[in-house]
Amino acid sequence: MTYVEYKMLNPFQRFGYNFKKVLVSIPRAVGNFFKAIGRGFVKLFTGIGKGFKKYGTTFAKGDWATKLSYLIFGVGDLHKGKYYKGILFLLAEIFYVLYIALFGWQYISKFNTLGTTETGMQMVNGIPKQVFGDNSMLILLYSVLTIVITAVMFVIYIANIKDAYKHQVMRENGQKPTSLAYDVKQFLDGKYHVTLLSFPVLMIAIFNILPLIFMILIAFTNYDKQHMPPGTLFTWVGLDNFGSLFNLVEGAKKGKTFIELTGWTILWAILATFTNYILGMIVALMINKKGIKLKGLWRTLFVISIAVPQFVSLLLMNQMLQTNGAINVLLSEISRAFGGGAVEIQFLNSTTLMARTTVVIINCWVGIPYTILSMSGILMNIPEDLYESARIDGASPVKTFTAITLPYMLFVTTPQLITQFVGNINNFNVIYLLTGGGPTTQDYYQAGRTDILVTWLFKLSMDTQDYGLAAAIGILVFIVCATISLIVYNNSKSMKDEEAFS
Amino acid sequence: MKKILAILLAGMMTATVFAGCGGGGSSSGSEASGSGSEQSSGSSGGAAVKDANTVDPATFGDEDNITLKVWAPDKAVALVKEQIEAFKAAYPEKTFTKIEVVAQGEGDAGTQLMNDASTAADVFSFASDQLNKLVDAKVIAPVAFVDAVSEMNAPGTVEAGTLQNTLYAYPETNDNGYYLVYDKSVVSADKAGKLEDVLAACKDAGKKFIFDCGNGFYSCTYAFTAGVKIDGLEEDGVTQKFSQYDEAEAVKTLQAFSKLMHEYKGTFTSLDVAQIASGFSTGTLGAGVDGSWNTNADKDALGDNFGAAKLPTINVDGTDKQLVSLFGYKYIGVNAASKFPASAQILAYYLAGETCQQQRAEQLGWGPSNKNVQAMDVVTKSEVQQAIKAQSENACVQVNIAPTFWDPMGNLGNKLIAEDTNPDDAEYFTKLLKDTVANVRDEG
Repeated sequence: MTYVEYKMLNPFQRFGYNFKKVLVSIPRAVGNFFKAIGRGFVKLFTGIGKGFKKYGTTFAKGDWATKLSYLIFGVGDLHKGKYYKGILFLLAEIFYVLYIALFGWQYISKFNTLGTTETGMQMVNGIPKQVFGDNSMLILLYSVLTIVITAVMFVIYIANIKDAYKHQVMRENGQKPTSLAYDVKQFLDGKYHVTLLSFPVLMIAIFNILPLIFMILIAFTNYDKQHMPPGTLFTWVGLDNFGSLFNLVEGAKKGKTFIELTGWTILWAILATFTNYILGMIVALMINKKGIKLKGLWRTLFVISIAVPQFVSLLLMNQMLQTNGAINVLLSEISRAFGGGAVEIQFLNSTTLMARTTVVIINCWVGIPYTILSMSGILMNIPEDLYESARIDGASPVKTFTAITLPYMLFVTTPQLITQFVGNINNFNVIYLLTGGGPTTQDYYQAGRTDILVTWLFKLSMDTQDYGLAAAIGILVFIVCATISLIVYNNSKSMKDEEAFS
Repeated sequence: MKKILAILLAGMMTATVFAGCGGGGSSSGSEASGSGSEQSSGSSGGAAVKDANTVDPATFGDEDNITLKVWAPDKAVALVKEQIEAFKAAYPEKTFTKIEVVAQGEGDAGTQLMNDASTAADVFSFASDQLNKLVDAKVIAPVAFVDAVSEMNAPGTVEAGTLQNTLYAYPETNDNGYYLVYDKSVVSADKAGKLEDVLAACKDAGKKFIFDCGNGFYSCTYAFTAGVKIDGLEEDGVTQKFSQYDEAEAVKTLQAFSKLMHEYKGTFTSLDVAQIASGFSTGTLGAGVDGSWNTNADKDALGDNFGAAKLPTINVDGTDKQLVSLFGYKYIGVNAASKFPASAQILAYYLAGETCQQQRAEQLGWGPSNKNVQAMDVVTKSEVQQAIKAQSENACVQVNIAPTFWDPMGNLGNKLIAEDTNPDDAEYFTKLLKDTVANVRDEG
């Protein structure tokens, strides 16, 4: 379709055309996404291949000290006069050997079975005393630690070889190794990024990545109420947990629960994100309209609900929506004024539709103020001259909105929309504090009709100790969130056309 | 200067990574268990005791400079602290570095213990339904003074604490259940016997009746009354076993409950039991089914009009059926991973002993499990204690309950009272009952 043809369409046809275009582009986007992953893997493996080659050639070219560095860290550096670095390398190796011998080996050696000796009980002077056997959880935890430390040691090992060879070449060229003072100075100058980032990276590795690996591994074990360390052992079960989530045989409740909750989770994320976005935008537009008096007052009134912590207002809402809560009391009073009887609407605990609608509406109440805040900022930022020229050209207010305001806002807020969407997929507070997952049902496994995947995950781990299953759900939620975010972001205007409004 | 500032900022940013990482530091186990000490003959005898509260100090063995942690429910913390001072005084020859009391509800003490036994309390009180979980996970140590404990306490409490022929916990109370509380100015004592009469009286007075249908702890009453009673666990140790029941009869009973709820819509309400005391004090409530631990609050709200009785009966096809409730005990357990196993056992023995039970009955209104305390005036002259005792004779014992029991039972109650449920639809109730039993048993 040419530009002229497009301009001749009416707004509905245009919407249809654009919508079709988006739908058509999805398979390609997904394809590109997986192609990119594939390319990444190819790059990784060729990189590894190159590394091995270099490893061999360096050994062939190295002198005796460099060759010895392949076995004992830092010998090359010590021989070439780079004393402090050589000592550091040597200390690293000593530390690693001691770590494995004294601590790491007892865990990593049991990594394939996660322990075989069960905990028992022994009587000493008539007092029962526990005799500890293997603890599967500790074995898993410290094995992960050992593996990570080994990976770090491997990097140090390679650095040691490279450094040894570098200094060998430098000596052959008649150069001297740099001094300690010079190297330290470098960390405040040329290598400043290393100084700045090493501490954060170390902390993220310890507090984010290590636990993450541990949690991911749990998804492949049968860690549940029947296999609780330290009393009993758990072990590897492969993909069993994922299998039970996708088991759609009639009567298999876990599979049914997972599929239906996933559907509701995505529906909920879409509804929650877009109701907040659209309604918040409308209110912000109204407040920002020229000629509206007391703008500050309106803005404050809407934003004042942020002053109450979200979880407090949600718990209060839960109380207000009970059968004897404030809202039903109010409705009863109104009904009595017109000669009716008491009203007792079960907002949260009767039908699926009623509970889900209530949750979405309450979420608007909690979420709209934030949208108003950010939207007001963006609206005030749109250059006034754009509107002026539109007015001079005789554009109607609607036209001005669709041609200037909306594209500008979408451009700026697409990344925010994605964050909100992903945030809503994991919106634990609103669901758990408001309905607790209710209305209950006999069709699901440990979940109610408004439960989303995260709240189900929480119930599985806290109430029934199905840790393995919960970890598997966590991984699947992550995959869904990551895929959606990457595809949408990479296809958004903000990414493709960064300069559009600057 | 700028660079230093940047480093500081980066450091601060990483500090946020720590958020949510509090706690941790689990100590690895495998201590050497006392070598060279003679082994006693299992659980048959148990160690020697001195009296109903204390044991021979030699039982401490070589433990000294003792550090212990105790979990007690919020309401009891102050009393337990006093009792611990008395405990220290009872063993002057020992040094107690620190005995800490931390508030922890009995309802999920077991779950907390299982989540991380190494940082949990050495001595903890818990509700009887968690016992099988704790025993399966091997985090609870068996009772050291079996003979003395078995002799002192009511047989029911000892029996419920015994699994695989081993007594695993010290009985603490004999009252963990619920009963009917009513406002005597609304429901007269002779009407409190029948559910229909109670509801009619409440409706006439324009007041409500509260029964928490959404909570499995209360709503299992419907299933039990219908004859669908629990009967321990299957051999795998996690699947709930049900006794034989007549399905047609059970469905009829459930329908009768549902019919009453719909007939008295606006009177029969399903709300949290916390609403009962406040309902009494605002005068909107006529009666309710409340737990024994709320007795004091209900008494304060009603004053002289406070009435207590066992649960009423319900009319099913012309016969009055007694409501069957869930009735449990509270126990004091010893963490199997305790660093001072002997001291922990001795402290648990003391806290579950006669003096402490009497103090709790007097100051907190808890029903004792100790036979001597049961015979004291504080129990025999209490209307509430008598109501609980009467209800305990019509109850399933709250032990050996699968973790999957509560949610399906709560759902059962919710469905009985739900507006879109038709009480005459027998087919629906048959399916509901079947699904509920299947869900509790985690089939599928």
